[in-house]
Amino acid sequence: MGLNISANKVLASIPYLFEGVGITLEITILALLLGTLLGLVLAIIRVYGSGAFRQFAVIYSRLVRSLPLLVILFMLYFLGSEIIDIPAFWAIILALAIHSAAYQSEIFRGAIQSISKGQMEAALALGMSKYQGIFYVILPQALRRAIPYWANEATIVLKDSSLAYALGVTELMRRGEYVSARTSQPLITYIVVGLIYLLLTYVFTKSMARVESKVKIPGLER
Amino acid sequence: MAKPILRVENIHKKFKGTEVLKGLSLTVYEGEVVVIIGPSGTGKSTLLRCINRLTEPDSGDVYLEEQKIEPGKTNLNYIRQQIGMVFQDFNLFNHLTALQNVAIGPIKVKKMDKQKAYELARKELARVGLADKAANYPAELSGGQKQRVAIARALAMDPKIMLFDEPTSALDPELIGEVLEVMKDLANAGMTMVVVSHEMGFAREAADRIVFLENGVVAEMGSPEKIFNNPEKERTREFISKITRLNSVAKDREVL
Repeated sequence: MGLNISANKVLASIPYLFEGVGITLEITILALLLGTLLGLVLAIIRVYGSGAFRQFAVIYSRLVRSLPLLVILFMLYFLGSEIIDIPAFWAIILALAIHSAAYQSEIFRGAIQSISKGQMEAALALGMSKYQGIFYVILPQALRRAIPYWANEATIVLKDSSLAYALGVTELMRRGEYVSARTSQPLITYIVVGLIYLLLTYVFTKSMARVESKVKIPGLER
Repeated sequence: MAKPILRVENIHKKFKGTEVLKGLSLTVYEGEVVVIIGPSGTGKSTLLRCINRLTEPDSGDVYLEEQKIEPGKTNLNYIRQQIGMVFQDFNLFNHLTALQNVAIGPIKVKKMDKQKAYELARKELARVGLADKAANYPAELSGGQKQRVAIARALAMDPKIMLFDEPTSALDPELIGEVLEVMKDLANAGMTMVVVSHEMGFAREAADRIVFLENGVVAEMGSPEKIFNNPEKERTREFISKITRLNSVAKDREVL
């Protein structure tokens, strides 16, 4: 009986939780936008760049991948309080972007290197510059190959955005905490929160699979 | 004498301490078809790649007409536009249709109007007999068709000279003929061509000059009649007879 009433309280909070989904998505999308851009640039530098630039990309990837996301997040946030003020909302976006960029750079690097060398040679032989070769020949093929791996990374970013609760950003996870405290029903609350994350990743993964098959090159095995 | 289109002077190239090209020189004249033959590992492909600088030679000069090709000084991209290249494994752009493969050079490199470029691409595809494959992707084409699209792609840039790097080596025997046919048409149309190939039939029919490379230098060169029937050097004779024998064995197998 008591459980029912409490459960109803949690269910009544679902619209409140869904408002948090909006913020979760904002964080995820912005972080992915920045992270993908940075990851792509790092990957291109890593494969085609020379000397110091390439070295930087390598070190960036190693360094960032060896730090826990939470540490990056706190460093950014407290760097914020001591030098420039970074609002919690932007601290989580930047932390996610920096973190994810390292993993994405590895994904894109692998995809770029999987395209046969002859593709770039054919582009150069036509008179294209290296940049034209990269943008018109290599990337259109490499990005297609990267889609499933990128989609996987994107769901990780979505889930990792829940770390924003540590800074008090009222995204889905933080709201879950409030609801859990108010209803004294942590289990049910977090099951509901978990189901919402599940729903989000499911929809995202499904739509990426659709994108993947839509842009598939006809006749090509992979 | 016809005017020289391409001059290669004293090219040297080492790979990991092994000298592949040892001071090779070669001049190709306008409208000439030069077929380069020679044992494997003797630097035939390296020579072609040194011409358009896909491989950087250690020393030596290459001239396209009067222009010396010097990366950093000459605009290499502009030089390459004028040198068509056909690769052993085609290297068609996998994400583009046959038509787009042919049109992308004119569009991106020459900044040609798209409408015009596609018109040109259709013409070039028709020239290699593939007008009906315009909308197909490379993975949907046979090897012979791929190579013909690759030839059309190079032609669309209106090159002064075409380099063929073993264009039929990756093809099934029954597909070789269609590619050689296109190359012969091209030769008859007056295109200047340098062809690395072991297709002796093609060399005999289409070549103005056969160059026998060995150990990184030109060992002997001359008209097909001379090289096939009356070579100066014993090595040339041996090589020709070996290749001819291999070709005829392959032909016999086909018949069987």
